[in-house]
Amino acid sequence: MTDPHDQTGAHRVFEIDHEPDWFSGLTQREARLLDGALAFHCLARPGERIRATVLRTHGPHLPSLTDQGTSSIEWPDDRTVVGTIEAHATGHPRSATGVVDVVLDLGGPPESLMRNEQPPGRLHAARNAVRRRVPVAFDAARQLRTDRLENRRLSRPIPRVGRLDNTSVGSSRGSTKAVLFGLHWLELGGAEKWATETISLAREAGLFPIVVSDRPSGHPDIVRPEYDGALVIPLTHPMAGAQESRLLSQLFERFDIRGVHVHHCSWLYQRLPWIRAQYPGTELVDSLHVLEWRTGGFVDIALRLSNVMDAHHVISPQLRDYLVDRQGLPREKVQLATLADLTIDRSTVEAAPEPTRKAGDPLTIAFVGRFTQQKRPYLFLRLAAHLRATHGDRVRFVMHGDGELAAEVRSHRSRLGLDGVVELRGPDQPVSNTLGVADMLVISSDNEGVTLTSFEADAHGVLVLSSDVGSQASVVLPELLLPRAPLAFLRAAERTVAGLLDDTERSTALLHRQHGRVSAFAALPDARAWTRELYERWAS
Amino acid sequence: MTTTNVAAVIVTYNRADKLGKVIEQVLSQDRPADQVIVVDNASTDSTASVLDQYRGRDTVHIEQLAENTGGAGGFAHGMSVAYERGADLVWIMDDDCYADTDALRQLVDGHAAAEKSMGMRLPYACSVVKWTDGDVCEMNNPEPTWDWGKLLARGEQSVLVNSCSFVSVMFPRWVLTQFGLPLSEYFIWFDDQEYTRRITAAGPGVQVLTSTVTHDLAVNRGVNFGDVNDSNMWKFAYGVRNEASYRWHHEDPFAALRFAQRLFTGLRGGRVPWRLRRRLAKKFVEGIRFDPKPAFPRTVL
Repeated sequence: MTDPHDQTGAHRVFEIDHEPDWFSGLTQREARLLDGALAFHCLARPGERIRATVLRTHGPHLPSLTDQGTSSIEWPDDRTVVGTIEAHATGHPRSATGVVDVVLDLGGPPESLMRNEQPPGRLHAARNAVRRRVPVAFDAARQLRTDRLENRRLSRPIPRVGRLDNTSVGSSRGSTKAVLFGLHWLELGGAEKWATETISLAREAGLFPIVVSDRPSGHPDIVRPEYDGALVIPLTHPMAGAQESRLLSQLFERFDIRGVHVHHCSWLYQRLPWIRAQYPGTELVDSLHVLEWRTGGFVDIALRLSNVMDAHHVISPQLRDYLVDRQGLPREKVQLATLADLTIDRSTVEAAPEPTRKAGDPLTIAFVGRFTQQKRPYLFLRLAAHLRATHGDRVRFVMHGDGELAAEVRSHRSRLGLDGVVELRGPDQPVSNTLGVADMLVISSDNEGVTLTSFEADAHGVLVLSSDVGSQASVVLPELLLPRAPLAFLRAAERTVAGLLDDTERSTALLHRQHGRVSAFAALPDARAWTRELYERWAS
Repeated sequence: MTTTNVAAVIVTYNRADKLGKVIEQVLSQDRPADQVIVVDNASTDSTASVLDQYRGRDTVHIEQLAENTGGAGGFAHGMSVAYERGADLVWIMDDDCYADTDALRQLVDGHAAAEKSMGMRLPYACSVVKWTDGDVCEMNNPEPTWDWGKLLARGEQSVLVNSCSFVSVMFPRWVLTQFGLPLSEYFIWFDDQEYTRRITAAGPGVQVLTSTVTHDLAVNRGVNFGDVNDSNMWKFAYGVRNEASYRWHHEDPFAALRFAQRLFTGLRGGRVPWRLRRRLAKKFVEGIRFDPKPAFPRTVL
């Protein structure tokens, strides 16, 4: 068996004093989590020996790798000790005196972690019960609240950090040219897919990828080949302040970090002013995907920190307009570069695909995406119930995905009597198979940037019906855009599907127009090209 | 380096006799508009044949609406199209406005100079609107701010204004993003006042005194409620409803009452028949219940 440890770049920053037998018994995911944790603790205490007690559990518990809790040498009863290991940072003499003890909990298996996180308290329990029982009504109230919060948020100016004019202090000192990436987590998602792609691009440009992630997760994607050879440190919070700065300063001393690329990582965003102050030679950029109307999300965090950043990469015209026109950022600082070909090769879909459905054939409607609150799978199920009641077996449904609402999706499906009507497909099956059998894709999300599935659907000759959120209007035809409010969404979707059920001619015409729209969007600057050029400049 | 993309928007309805000259004046600017968007509000005269002469021109884009949406709807549509087509500055005018050859250049330069001088973004710049005899056009005279002469004192040929009409006024793109479009629901009259007052929340507008246009109206007379008669009643009806709505919902009920008093005095002064006065009173009440919200443009590409 290949030692999973050898595939990571962690060995660049720490050495294991004696590799124990149990180490090779870890799954690759666990081994990489452990590597990241050891890298953190060794870098945070260079010159000291780190003695780690490694735990795991079968329960639904998230890893604890870098937080202050790792210094406590007691743990809950359901944890199992995997073993102990000693390591120290490279480049520093091994301390002869004593060791620093840490307890590293690798958490439970990722499948046990896929659940809807519920904050504690009776209020949240009641809220969750209502959401489970009457999801559409709950969503209607939620959207009203979103409208109100959106108006309130937009009426208030976003505070900005001060500019740093004095940039006379040091810069990164190592010799290996590197990029520091900040990720939300190493799980499935559009932003993460793009982040992973940029890590490959960095490597292609000759830059060593250093990745920190921010959110608690089992990080199932840490095993992806893109992370082979990278230094990946999955952070868990809260960390000690002194350790945070030591981690960053050690990274900047050991590597020649040419640039920082933030992908939805609050922790790294918040540390950009410090990085700019200490290492002004390093370029700071981010990639932005979605404007969260309730909170502003990462876009507003980026705005707050824009004064210390060099560029913002955005994937949709909506974000560009928001940053430049509404928030007044200089146009040259905001780069629109789309992800239209991130998941498909557009060179193979130049011609408009022809629909295969003939008049009288049943219409297959698909949902593809994570089963989360944002994607609103319950709306799709409700739509399926309505259409089934009206049109019988002339309509068929496929739901492809998984996620924290998976159990609820199954129970709603049963409750609505759709067990034999809506086919559920898991992520073990390729999305292309689902789009291959679908005639229409319904995107019911309450928020999006531009969905990658829209491009994939178009490439398969599938019409896209979507809620009118984010920049979906860039790739979805106006007559196939649906209101965000759930009841209006259902009414409009039902009406649109009914109108297309027998009218294959109109469906074909719409498909051609949709393809033209998607192609026009895809002709905008490409994110890969922009990033490749950026990294090549950093590497030179 | 970026270049500024200026879109000129002309809204027309049954003015085939004047439209050609309006378009020609825009096309012959010494700082040409990068795109000229003509919105035909479902004209029923020979407007189509006038527009046919411009179809296929590189910079001209014609938007044919299926129904007459009024000046308000036409401007909202045209501005939205200009926004979607990537305009940085949107210069709008009626179909009886003849721009002098340097009107656009003066507007662009005057606006930039005023922004520099004021140290802030300014939401619009309008021209001096003359009547056909060279005198000021009464209907299109902007309302100055209390400190209107600030830029004049600094040697610039601009004055600060609170509101202006839609006869040669230019909006930067960010205004459309931030404040949306004119209210189509107003249909006609007071849409320009509402819009320019709405966007003045971001700062004053400027009237660039060196940018001049001619408004080819039949008579040079401002809005006067004493002029109401059967033939122009429909326009005043929109005007009263819209202004009542604006004063009530966007200023305060006292402003609406002051407007009611002005309306009453004007109608009485003009000895307007009681049946028309009653109809306008109903429009006033309708305005209190009428509170449309702005639509926002968006870029698809």
